[in-house]
Formats: sequence, C-alpha cells, structure tokens
Amino acid sequence: MTLCVRSVSKRFAARRVLNNIDLDLDGGQALCLCGANGAGKSTLLRVIAGLLRPDNGSLALDGYDVRKDCERYKRRLGVISHASMIYAELTVRENLAFAAALHGMRKPAARVEELLNDTALAAFRHDRAGILSRGLLQRLAIARALLHRPGLLLADEPFTGLDNEATALLVSLFRRFVDDGGAIVIVTHDVRLGLECCQRVAVLDAGRFRLDAMKTDIDCDRFAQDYLSYARNDSWNRSGSH
Amino acid sequence: MRRLLFILAVFLLTASTWMALTAGQIVPVQRNILYAHVPSSICALLCFVVLLVAGIGYLAGGRDIWDMIAVASAEVGLVYATILNATGMIFSRAEWNVWWTPSPRLITSAILWFLYVVYLVLRVNLPGSRRRRARICAVFGIIAFLDVPMVFLSARFIPDMHRPSFSFESTWQSAALALAMIATVLLGTAMIWLRTDSLRNTLRLEEQFLA
Amino acid sequence: MESFWVALKAIFVKDVIVELRARQVLPTMVVLGMLIVYILRLVSEPASGAAPLVGAAALWVAFLFCGLLAQERSFAAEQHQGCMDGLLLAPCDPGTIYLAKLCVNVVVLCVFEVIIVPVVLIVFRLSVGARWPDLLAVLLLGNIGISSVGTLFSAAVQLARTRGSLLSIIVLVILMPLMVPATFALLVLFGALPEEVGGSGSLAFVGSFKAAAGYMLAFDAVFVVACWLLFAVVVEE
Repeated sequence: MTLCVRSVSKRFAARRVLNNIDLDLDGGQALCLCGANGAGKSTLLRVIAGLLRPDNGSLALDGYDVRKDCERYKRRLGVISHASMIYAELTVRENLAFAAALHGMRKPAARVEELLNDTALAAFRHDRAGILSRGLLQRLAIARALLHRPGLLLADEPFTGLDNEATALLVSLFRRFVDDGGAIVIVTHDVRLGLECCQRVAVLDAGRFRLDAMKTDIDCDRFAQDYLSYARNDSWNRSGSH
Repeated sequence: MRRLLFILAVFLLTASTWMALTAGQIVPVQRNILYAHVPSSICALLCFVVLLVAGIGYLAGGRDIWDMIAVASAEVGLVYATILNATGMIFSRAEWNVWWTPSPRLITSAILWFLYVVYLVLRVNLPGSRRRRARICAVFGIIAFLDVPMVFLSARFIPDMHRPSFSFESTWQSAALALAMIATVLLGTAMIWLRTDSLRNTLRLEEQFLA
Repeated sequence: MESFWVALKAIFVKDVIVELRARQVLPTMVVLGMLIVYILRLVSEPASGAAPLVGAAALWVAFLFCGLLAQERSFAAEQHQGCMDGLLLAPCDPGTIYLAKLCVNVVVLCVFEVIIVPVVLIVFRLSVGARWPDLLAVLLLGNIGISSVGTLFSAAVQLARTRGSLLSIIVLVILMPLMVPATFALLVLFGALPEEVGGSGSLAFVGSFKAAAGYMLAFDAVFVVACWLLFAVVVEE
C-alpha cells in the first residue's frame, strides 16, 4: 500500500487552507496528524478520501489516481470521520451488511461476524443503531470502515467521546491494522494517544507541513506538551524525515 | 469596444424606430409592437444559449469567468423575457381583447421567464460555497435548456386558436425589424459584458478584503 | 457491471427498509394528497361538468406536491450522521446513487398512486372502464418524469434552510411542459376527449393519446439520462 500526495492545494473563498502539500505513506505506517483548529487537517483528510476536489495537485493510492481510477482508489480506502455514517433505523448488522454491499462484497456474513466480534458489538447485532451510545456508534463506524479490508485508513478524531475501554480497543485495532500491512492517518488533538498509536507524526500549520518526522526522532514529551510551538521553533527538514 | 457596441446599438435602435414609425408602419397599429416583441424573443432565447454554454464552460474548466457570464446572461435574459411577455400581453389585449391566452407562443414566453427567475432565485438562495452554487446553477441551466424544446413540443397539445397571420408588406418593415434585431443583440451583448465585468470586480474586491 | 447492480440494489433496499421503519413520508403524502383532491373537488362543485378536467388536474397536482415530499426526504435522510459521505465513499459511480434513489421515489409514488387514484375516481365520479393498463402506464410515465428531476435537485438543495420551497420552484418550472400531455392523456382515459383531437374549436386540446404517451416517454428518457449524468456534479463538494 502506498499513498502518494503531490502538490495538493485547496482554497475556500479567499483563504488558502492547503498549500502545496506533499505526503508519502507506505503500508505498515501510522501517521499522527496534529494541528490547531483551522489548520487544514480535516480538509486534507477529505481531499485524500476523494470527498473534496483539490484546486491542484494529484493523489494516488497504489498507483490509482483519485479521479481517473476512482473506483479502485475508493476500494482501498476506509474512513472514520466526525460523523458515524450509520443509519439509525437499521440494526448494527444491517448497517454493516449495507456497507459490505456498497463495496461489492458478495458474501459478507462471515466478515461482518468477524468485525462484530473484534469491535465487541456482537451482543448488539440486532439492535437499531439509533439507540447506541456514542462509544458503541464509534465502534460500529470503525467496523464499517474496516469491513472491506482497506489498505489505507483515515481517522478524523476517532477517540472523541470514547471511554477508556473503547479507547484501548480502538488503539489495539489500529495497531493490528498496521501490523497487517495497512497504513493509517489519524487526526487527533489527543497527542499522547496519537503518539501511542503511531510511529510518525506531522504538524499542519496554516496549510503547510511544519513538521513530519518519526516518533523516534523527536522529543515526545515536549511535543505532547505543546506540539505547535515545538514544530515552529525547531527547524525540521522534511526531505530527511522519512 | 463596449462603448462602441452601446453607441452602435442605440444608433441602430433609433434608426429602426424611426423607420418603423415612418415608412415601416404596420396596420393595424398594435402590430407595431412586433418591432419590440420579436427582437426581445430572439434575445431572450440567445441569452439562454449563452447561459447554457457558460454553464458547460464552467463545469468543464472551473474558471470563474464562465460563471459570471452565466449570471450576467441570466439577468439580461430576464429583462428581455419580461419585455417579451409584456409586449406579448399588450399585443394579445389589443388584437384579441384578452390579456393572456394559453397559446403555445405565450406559454413558451412565460416558461422562459420562469426559468430565468428560478435560476436567479437559486443563485441567491443556495447555501454553500460560491463554487458549489455556480455548479448547481450550471446544472440547472443545462436541465432548463433541455426543457425549452420540450415546452415547444408540449404546446402542440394546445390549439393555437389565435394564430396571427402576418407577413411583411414592404422592405422598410423588414429592414426596420432586421435593424431592431441587430440592435437588440448588440445591446444584449454589451449589457452581458458590462455585468460580467461588474461581477468580476466585485469578486476581486471580496478576495482582496477577505484575504 | 455487477458491482453497479449490487450497489443499486443495496441502496434501494436500504431506503425502503428505512422508510418502512421511520414511516415519515408516506402517511404525510397520503394525507396531503387527499386534502388536495378534496379541496379541488369542493371548489369545482359549481362547475361539476368539468369534473374530468378538475379530476385530472387534482391527480397531477397531488402527484407533483406529494412527490416533492418524497424527493425532499430521499436525500434529507442522508444528511444525518454524514451518511451521504458514506454513499460517496463507496467505490461506485455517483450515478448509481441517483438511479437507486430514483427507483425508490418511483416506488413510493406508485404506492401513493394505489391510494390516491381510487379516491380521485370516487370523489370526481370518474371511470376508466377497461383502460386500466393505459391509466397505469400514463401514471407511471408521469411518475418517472416527476421523480427524475426532483431526485437530482433534492441532492442539490439539501443544505438550504428553505430546501422545500427551493425544490418546489425548480421541479414545478421544469415539469410544466410534462403536465399538458399528461392531462390530455388522462382526459382521453376519463372519456372527456376522443382518442384523437384535431383542429380548433371549443376543445382545449389537440393531438392523440398515442402522441401524448409518446411525448411523456420522450420527456422521461431525456431527463432521466440528463439527471443521471449530471448527478455527480451536484453532489461534489
């Protein structure tokens, strides 16, 4: 799995939200993306997900361009966003079965059961999603994202509203995903959790990457305390950071 | 260049009006409104074509100028469609003593007017970014353009009970009408140009102050 | 190709299940439809000879306005919990989403039709005799035309606070030409007009039933294809 983002820019009205972003991500890598509010993190994730068209630049997943090979690109992608993308009137199982059908999975029953067990949702399989708590809904969203075995997982604030148990479950799921050769980009304000899940960190500031380094190359404590000033004060050479 | 167009348009309109009022007078008198009615109808349709082309241009290229041309042509087209409907109703009242009748011509004029109005209402009321608004309005422009021939065809199900039989009796009349048509098209072009420039300057100012 | 049918069927089935469980649209549609029919019946009482025309008009007005309710709902439901993003992230062409939603709207209007048509026939004392299949065909053609435009623009106006009224003005202006032959066809079926009407006179229509049905078919074909192709543009952020 390789993600290749080249010279991606995006403006909203007069404001430049993303400014010539380059990003390379291989399978087995987990990237924690941090930044202040309005830095462009969610926008970047939406652009990588193919939900937002950049003003210029290109994106490719395993060589498949987001525009020209849209179907193949999306097959390799799983997204966990602020919103759960879950239908309240359908049961947990029905939501997963629907997601499986959307991805063209012919006999998803076994895979659905596997994910229900992995996300500890087996007991709720026949419950309508509308009655689930925020934590359970988030687990269902994660199961939905992993259903079709994507190569790249994009997670926008996945830990928000989760209790310790759910957080630990999510961290272990992410680790397993990466160990199996997948790549993740996690956007989070909880930097310590991000550092726990990921080996690579990046800071987006005013539409540009201010820092992009492996966890082992930075002072994690200082970074966790105030990543923004850390990224701004220390000079980071992006070309040497992979 | 634009100033030239305006001057030429005004000159030709004056010439055509003078011709119409003198040697080109049609009998009975109400039919002289055709000198305003026919050019307006041509222009209203032409503006629609410009709207369609600009919409397709925007969707294909994404350049803002196409969107501005589309909005400008919708506004100018609405003016011509209003004149078209108004002159049509005046003619109808004078000729057949009814302000409106569901004849195909009047129906088509009315729907054209409504299509322009709905386009401009969408323009103002659609939420989201300017680009999204432009895209959706371009889509509406394409669908609306497909609708116009459908209107012509559907009007065949209603009899044109008041079909005016009219032909030009003299070359002065044809010349006056031809001049009026050229003048109206030139005026429409100049107005679309002017309005597009005005929209472009507004956008530039917005970007400058918001940046 | 197979993934197209799988996704289409999945979205269709999902929407049907969601509507059956939520029961938001159909009851409101039926009530609104019946109110429209009854109001038009009451106000046309002094001119009871015009029953076929008013009945045909009542039927199409009910279809139009109740169809708008269904179409508005079809994408409003996707705004909760970012479900529209979920659909757009699927590895299928956005046109597939349009076609699935179109099918759902057509089916919902068909169910509505089963209830409202008998009401119109009873209230206006109309009959189609042996021409039931023709009536169903005409209503289906009208149904598809109404749903095609409404489904496309429902996706377009979702974020607007006045989405109901915006959708109404768009759909009504585009569908105006469909209503003339549609009403003509119904009048022929109600026996108020002969199969073919020609020339001028006191009759309000010219043309033939076949021409009217042919026009409706052409209208549907043009707009379903156009809306299907343009859907991807409308849902792009």
